[in-house]
Amino acid sequence: MFDTLGERLNSALDGVRGSGNLTEDGVKKVTREIRLALLEADVNYGVVKEFVGNVRERATGAEVSKALSPGQQVVKIVNEELANLMGGTAHKLSFASRPPTVVMLAGLNGHGKTTTAGKLALFVRKLGKNPYLIACDTYRPAAIEQLQQIGKELSVPVYTEGTEAKPEEIAERGVRKAREEGYDFVIVDTAGRQVLDMDMMEEIKRVRSATKPHNVLLVLDVVTGQNAVDVAKAFQEYADFDGMVLTKLDGDARGGAALSVVSVTERPVRFASEGEKMSEFDYFYPDRMAGRILGMGDVMSLIEKAEAQVDRKEAEAQSKKLMSGRFTFEDFLQQMQMLKKMGPLSSLIGMIPGMNKQLQGANLNDLDDKALGRVEAMITSMTVDERRNPKLLQNPSRARRIARGSGSTQQDVQKLVKQFGEMQKMMRQMGKGGMPKRMPRMPFKT
Amino acid sequence: MARSWRNFFRKTEEPEQEAVQPAEEVEAPDSAEDVPVAEEVQARQEIPQATKVLEEEAAEESEIEEPGVLPEPDVVEEAPDEEAAAEEQEAGSGGWFGRLRTGLRRSRESVVGQLNAAIAEFRDTEDEEFWERVEEILISSDVGVKTTGKLVGELEQEALEQNITSGEQLRRLMVEHAERMLEGPVELDVSHKPTVILMVGVNGTGKTTTIGKLVNFLPGKAMLAAGDTFRAAAIEQLQRWGERVGAPVIARERGADSAAVAHDAVEAAKRDGADVLLIDTAGRLHTKVNLMAELEKVRRVIERQLPGAPHEVLLTVDATTGQNGLRQAKMFNEVVNLTGIILTKLDGTAKGGIALAIANEIGVPIKLISVGEQVGDLHPFDAREFAEALFGEL
Repeated sequence: MFDTLGERLNSALDGVRGSGNLTEDGVKKVTREIRLALLEADVNYGVVKEFVGNVRERATGAEVSKALSPGQQVVKIVNEELANLMGGTAHKLSFASRPPTVVMLAGLNGHGKTTTAGKLALFVRKLGKNPYLIACDTYRPAAIEQLQQIGKELSVPVYTEGTEAKPEEIAERGVRKAREEGYDFVIVDTAGRQVLDMDMMEEIKRVRSATKPHNVLLVLDVVTGQNAVDVAKAFQEYADFDGMVLTKLDGDARGGAALSVVSVTERPVRFASEGEKMSEFDYFYPDRMAGRILGMGDVMSLIEKAEAQVDRKEAEAQSKKLMSGRFTFEDFLQQMQMLKKMGPLSSLIGMIPGMNKQLQGANLNDLDDKALGRVEAMITSMTVDERRNPKLLQNPSRARRIARGSGSTQQDVQKLVKQFGEMQKMMRQMGKGGMPKRMPRMPFKT
Repeated sequence: MARSWRNFFRKTEEPEQEAVQPAEEVEAPDSAEDVPVAEEVQARQEIPQATKVLEEEAAEESEIEEPGVLPEPDVVEEAPDEEAAAEEQEAGSGGWFGRLRTGLRRSRESVVGQLNAAIAEFRDTEDEEFWERVEEILISSDVGVKTTGKLVGELEQEALEQNITSGEQLRRLMVEHAERMLEGPVELDVSHKPTVILMVGVNGTGKTTTIGKLVNFLPGKAMLAAGDTFRAAAIEQLQRWGERVGAPVIARERGADSAAVAHDAVEAAKRDGADVLLIDTAGRLHTKVNLMAELEKVRRVIERQLPGAPHEVLLTVDATTGQNGLRQAKMFNEVVNLTGIILTKLDGTAKGGIALAIANEIGVPIKLISVGEQVGDLHPFDAREFAEALFGEL
C-alpha cells in the first residue's frame, strides 16, 4: 500500500491534467489521498487534519509547473510542509560548559530506554566524552542487571544502588559520584512508565529536579500509534523533555508518531536508533523522515532534480516523437544528456520508490555510465545527416570513420546502429499500442 | 475488556492429539548435541492449585457483576499459596477493574466524549458529518483506515436497514459490530502433557513480563524456558519471575542458541512431568529475515522434540502500537503460525484499536490483555467488554 501513493495521486488527478492552474477539485482529490497516507502512517488524526488543511490552501491555485505533473507538484508541497514541521537539519547535542553534561532518559515501557542509554554512551565516547551510566529503574526485574551488562560490554561504569532506594536519590548520588570521579557525560536511565500512572509521573518529575539534567530525551518507539500525542504531552508536562530518540527505526513502521509529537510539543527528534548493535545510533536527519512517512522513498530529490533539469513540454514532445518511430540519433543524444545532468543512473534508480529492493542483486550493466559515455562519443562523431538518417551508417567506411573518431571499434558502431534500429521498431510498435514480444537490447548495453 | 479465568484453560484432550505421542526418542538439534544439560533454577515447587483458584473465582463471580462496588475482585489475591502474587496485588488497590476504569478514563473521556457528542447530535443515517466523526473516533483509536472503512460501511448499511433513529440504538449497534469482529476462540489449550506455549513478539512488547504473569494462572506444574539469550539480563529477568512463583527456569548462558534452550526445556518438561512449559524468546523485528528464520528454527526444534507442540504460539502486541501492529501480526503468523495475540500495556492512553484491525485483517484471535504491571493485571480477553470500552458510555 505504501509505494502506490504516487500512483494513487496520479489517478486522482487524471481528470485534472492540462489545466493551467491546480484546480480546487484536483487539489481536493489529491489531498484526500495524502490524508489517507498520513493516517496509515499513524500520524495523529488531529495533526493530519491541520496539516492537510495547510497543504490544500497552499496548493489551490498554484501555477502548474513545467517539469512536474500536478500530482508530483502537490507531493512536493506536502514534502516541504513536512520538512518544515520536522525541522530542516539535525539537532545536535550541546554539552555543558561546566561538566558533567547530564542527560535523563524517559519514556513508556518497552520503548528502548536502557538500550538507548548504552548506545548514547558509546556515541558520546566517540565524540571524545567520558560517559557514566546511572541505573534508576528499580521496578522491572533485572533492569539494573541489563544496564550493568551493557556497561560491561562497553566498559562504561554503571552506578547502581539496587532496587530499594528511591530513584531520585539514586540519581542524585550517582551524578555526584560521576562529578567526583571526573566523568563528563552522565546518562540517567529511568523506569518505563505509563502516563496515566500519576505516582510514576510524579517520580520522573522528582528525578528531573534531583539531577537538573541539561538534556531530557523522550525515548519513543517508532511504531507508536495515535496516542503518541497524549504520551508526549504528559511527558512534556512532567519531564519537560527537549528532544526525542526515535527507536526501532530498522523496522518497517512509517513513524507518523514522530510527526505528531514534533508538531504538538515543538520538540525535535534528536537521535535515531536502528538496530540491535550498540553502534547503530546517530543524529536524526529530519529530511529523511518525510519520505518515509509518505511512503515514497526519496522521491522528492528525484522530483527536484527533474524539475531543475527537464522542461516538461520538451519531454512531452520528445516522447511523442519516440512513439511515432521518427526518433533519431539526435533525439537520443539529447535525452542522454538530459539524463546525465540528473546524476549517475544507478543513483537515480535508487531514488525511485520500490526500485531499490527490486534491483538488489540485479545486473546493473544496462546502466553503466561509462557505456553511456562511449555511445555519446560515437553519436557526436556522426555527421548531422548520419544522425538523422541512421541508414547511412550501413556504409562500412562511414562506420570506420566514426569508430576512429570516437575511439571505438567498427563492430561497436555497427552494433549500436543495429540496436538503435531495433529500438526504433519497438518504439513504433509501442506507439501503436502493442508491446513487443521481446525487449531489444538497449544500445548502451555493452 | 476482560473476563474471568474460569473456562479459560481448555484441559480436555482432543482424541486425535492423543495419538501423536512421540514413539521414539527424537534426535536433538545439531546445536544442542554434546552440550551439558542446561542449568535449572530449582526454586520453591509450590505451584498454585488451579482448581482452588477456580473455586475462589466462582465465589467471587457474583460480585463482579456490579461494577463500581468491587473491593477486590481479583482471583489471585486470595489464592491459598500464592504469596508472590498476593504481594504484587497489595501494591495495586481497588482491583483491576477499578484501576482499568480510572486508567482509561482520561483517554476515553476524549474519545467517548466525542462519541457521546456525536451520538447526541445524530439525526438520521444520511448524516454525512456524523459518519465522518465516527470514522475519526475509530482512526484515533488506532483501528486503521481499512478496518474503519469496513466497520463504518457495515454500520451505515445496517442502520439504514433497521431504520435506526436514536443515537443510543446506534451505539449498541456499534458495540455489536465491533464485538463480532473481535470474537474468536480465546481459551488456551493446556490439554497436553506437557503443553508447550511459545511466546513471540517484537522487542519491548512484554513477552517476559507476560510469562511472569501468566505462570501464576496456569493449572498444574509450570516450567519456564529462558529463550531470550540475546538481550542483556533477559535471562535474569525470567529467573526472577520463576523465583517468585516457584517455577523452575531452564536456561543457558547469554548468547547460546535459542533453539538449544528450547530443546533442553522440552526434554526437561517431559522428564520432570511438567504440565505447562512456557518458552520465552528474544524480541525481534518482523523485518529481520535472519531473526525470523531463527524463530522458525526454535519452533521446528520444539515440534521435533514433541510432535504437536508448540500447542500455543502467542504474540505480544503493545497496545500503543499503531498500524505497524498489523505487519507484526502478519509476519509472525506467516513464520510461526500464531494461535493468539496478547495485547499488553492497555493501562496507558492507547485504546488498543489495533486489536480490531488485527482481528479483522489477520484473523488471529486476541486471547489475553494486560492492563498493568501487577500479576493480577493479566486477563482473558472479552470481546464484548473490549467493544464496550471502545464505544460504551463512561
